[in-house]
Amino acid sequence: MNKLVLSAAVAATLGLASNSFADGPIDGTIYGKINVSVVNTDQNSADKWKLNSNASRLGVKGKTKITDGLYAVYKAEFEMCVDDGDCKGQTFTQRNIMGGIRGSFGTVWAGKHDSPTKLAQKKIDLFNDLEGDIKNTFEGENRVSNIIAYTSPTLSGFSGTVAMIPGEGADVDGDGVDDTGLTDGISYSLSYSADNLYLAVAGDQDVDNQDLVRMVMQYKMDALKLGAMYQQNEDSQGIKDESGFFVSAAYKIDKTTLKAQYGFIEDDVDGDEEETLSLGADYKLSKNTKAYIFYTDNTDSELDSDDDEASSFGVGMEHKF
Amino acid sequence: MNLTDVRLWSAAAVTTAMLLSGAANSNCDFDTDDADGPDFLDKIIECEEQQSSGNQSQESSRTNSSAAATQLYGDGSLTNSGIIERPVAAAGTLSHYADKSFVARQPYSLRPDAKFEESVTIAIQKLHLEMAHYCARGWDIERQWTEANSQQQGDFFLHYRFRCTAA
Repeated sequence: MNKLVLSAAVAATLGLASNSFADGPIDGTIYGKINVSVVNTDQNSADKWKLNSNASRLGVKGKTKITDGLYAVYKAEFEMCVDDGDCKGQTFTQRNIMGGIRGSFGTVWAGKHDSPTKLAQKKIDLFNDLEGDIKNTFEGENRVSNIIAYTSPTLSGFSGTVAMIPGEGADVDGDGVDDTGLTDGISYSLSYSADNLYLAVAGDQDVDNQDLVRMVMQYKMDALKLGAMYQQNEDSQGIKDESGFFVSAAYKIDKTTLKAQYGFIEDDVDGDEEETLSLGADYKLSKNTKAYIFYTDNTDSELDSDDDEASSFGVGMEHKF
Repeated sequence: MNLTDVRLWSAAAVTTAMLLSGAANSNCDFDTDDADGPDFLDKIIECEEQQSSGNQSQESSRTNSSAAATQLYGDGSLTNSGIIERPVAAAGTLSHYADKSFVARQPYSLRPDAKFEESVTIAIQKLHLEMAHYCARGWDIERQWTEANSQQQGDFFLHYRFRCTAA
């Protein structure tokens, strides 16, 4: 029976392929990347070697014209775990998946997706998906389910996105009452881009149990790219009230890019601190392939206990397609 | 073989079919990480504009001639391995589709802060590369026109309708 189902599936697929030859290519593009690294991590003096798959992914994206100036847009992206094939018990896990309608009015879109606050960070995190990823230190790096968003057109460099996130019965604000409204969580961003400058202000309300505001800046000067972020966040119960900053710099010399970033955040309620420092270099092997090396030190300091310290160094490669 | 295996094989087959039918034809210089950027919607629209341009070219070639037009992407044939193979006009190769018509377009910007690579000069350069790609022995530009990009003030799309020479 299963073989019958398989045969039917393959036959249907080949039929799809044949149809696509008859009608032209599908209205979309397959893309993805493989990113693997060999990493040595020393956590509180316990040393371990690992092979890591760093958000390797496969996706399809595209648009379909509905009428002049009106499009359906979509993106479906899945993580694949190149190191051991086990993505939380699955072969593929969901990353950003969305569909929307785009016109001169902007874009209305929905799905499971990075929040506007996370997107507003742009790429100032130079060690994204590695041990030095900003998400290991700062709140607000959320991929949110059930997101319904509106993104404005870009006017004179300004663009904005606002998203509402229904709780669907979960207690998103931690007040002991299940949330069933349309705007139980809200995330927004406003950005400005001009020449080599990017500025953004973004925030969350009751997203991942946090209320948050962040400001982001990125500036490019020839081979030098600078990034900075300031953030304040507090949880819905008032147990945590953090503020901190993040800076990064990348300098390109021919095929090599030298990178450094530092972040610090402090909890004003209990005085706990978190710190991250990363240094590294990328070497471009081809347009779509690079090798890299990095060192990261992440420290969590609590007033009434020993520091939790993890340092990592690794080498890896990334190939985009 | 259990149902999970069936799903996996089906997904793999669908992916293969999509790769064969779509990705090979993409001209877009899209960076994978752009999909996670704040302007990911713009990237989808802009990158797929080129895809659409390619589609239009195929459609145009079908309309204006002939069986030879299908040679642009081929009809496909099933090999023993189960993988469908077909001739693909790879980027950088030159072909000549005599007496066939195509429509191509490229974005450009007249914004004061537009970068050089967004200029109409570069758009024309890219269009000529496309024309040379499909009409290696020469072409006639039958029509050219511009449409505004409704998403960005000061941005436009330059269109060329061109026909490969008969020789």
